[in-house]
Amino acid sequence: MSAYATETLFNEAADWNLFDVNVRVGPSGIHGELTLDTPELLEEMDRFFIREAVASHWTAEEYDVPLGNAALAEVAQARLTPAWAALPDTDLAPLKPKAVRLTPGGNQHNFSMARWCSGPLFDYLDAHSVLTLIARNDIDWSELDRLLESYPRLPVVLLDTGYRADRYLFPLLEKHRNLYFDSATYLAHRQLEAFVETHGPDRVLFGTRLPLYTPAASLGVLATARIRDDARLAIAGGNLRRLLAD
Amino acid sequence: MRSPIPILDSHGHLGTHVDFPSVKQSPDEMLAVMDHLNIEKLAVTSLLACYNDAPHGNAQVDELLRRHPDRFLGYITVNPNPPGEGLHELERWKHFHSPPLIKFHPGLHKYPVTGPNYKPLWDYANQTHAIVLVHTWDSDPNCGPLMFPAIARQIPNARILLGHSGVTWRGYMQSIEAAESAPNLFLELCGSQNHRLILEKCVDRVGAERILFGSDLPFLEASMTLGRVLTARIADAAKERILRYNFLELLERY
Repeated sequence: MSAYATETLFNEAADWNLFDVNVRVGPSGIHGELTLDTPELLEEMDRFFIREAVASHWTAEEYDVPLGNAALAEVAQARLTPAWAALPDTDLAPLKPKAVRLTPGGNQHNFSMARWCSGPLFDYLDAHSVLTLIARNDIDWSELDRLLESYPRLPVVLLDTGYRADRYLFPLLEKHRNLYFDSATYLAHRQLEAFVETHGPDRVLFGTRLPLYTPAASLGVLATARIRDDARLAIAGGNLRRLLAD
Repeated sequence: MRSPIPILDSHGHLGTHVDFPSVKQSPDEMLAVMDHLNIEKLAVTSLLACYNDAPHGNAQVDELLRRHPDRFLGYITVNPNPPGEGLHELERWKHFHSPPLIKFHPGLHKYPVTGPNYKPLWDYANQTHAIVLVHTWDSDPNCGPLMFPAIARQIPNARILLGHSGVTWRGYMQSIEAAESAPNLFLELCGSQNHRLILEKCVDRVGAERILFGSDLPFLEASMTLGRVLTARIADAAKERILRYNFLELLERY
């Protein structure tokens, strides 16, 4: 086998039981060239030893929540935990959700997460401890602070945090025990390693941003971080499995 | 994950940055990461020079090169403002390397790469067969990739590295289009957006021989761009050109 084969380069990751929190599936009107259908997505996950993923559907994000959720229901399978979409008036109970991915931004589903607008939605998510994924571009820091304060049992995962956010992120992590973030864009020099040294491994979840980004980037960071093996395993999937089981 | 081949890294820095905390950015920490990933040499530009003070920043690079001549190469970072200072800096630090390695950061210096203050600097690069690393960004009015073909055709002896290749998917497309139209334009790969398929597209349209690995160390995480290259669906020989031989040839050929 070539020294450049992915299996050779990342062979240790085969034992990490990787669980990716940041994946989308289906067609996209914006990213058509990069999108993956379910078999293609699973193939790409296999290539990087990713066993499972929390996946949302582009159709829900870019177009219509019920239509997107129906499409997601069709592709959900053992390796893909659905991250359902929701609007303030969406009745989630029939879906028995373990995870949701909300896109409240002004150019997407365009709603406020404040209680006066989305109270019943977040009451449900909070009561059932549904893992709630929100991308950084869809929420400002003060709104996130209010959300975490209003719903302290709600596990919130900030996606696509970027590498420049530590001066906002660290105070919120210290203030709110229910805040987590994904590693897909946490990519400054030795940033993940330094975070684990100062904050421990429990608040970071492995993410790739598939199908837009190659898993090689965030997997490369995780593989080369000089951290303890138990910390690496927690980030790789242990933290996410714990949150979904709670 | 470790590179099977010793890497010559065309894009690195020395120093800290403005808008987020720096960690482990000392030369000794950089060397530890370089050893871990098999980066033999890293060409650095001073962040102090990129942000604020080119003369003092270049002096820091000079000191680094004296301490670690086998592990680092030095770009002379040039600010087009005030006019005249840049040429003075290029003469002052010409002992860094021959042909010279020159860094322009039109984004941070907020001056268009096509502006008159850059003209004598480009002429110097042409006369000395310099390798010029320029920060680029998708459609940026100071350093958008499509600004470079006209420059490159006027200075055919200089080798221009499009730093970050425009960063975004669209920025990469602009960089590919630019490189297709001028043989002395090269694509450099470091950046925080790690799109699937983009490197394959670069190799297909521009050719592996005009693509260079850069890490952006210690600004960005070197292992992410290394992971992108190592796992791309391109030939192993293409990976080796990108990781080592293309930069080696540029350094030795003029």
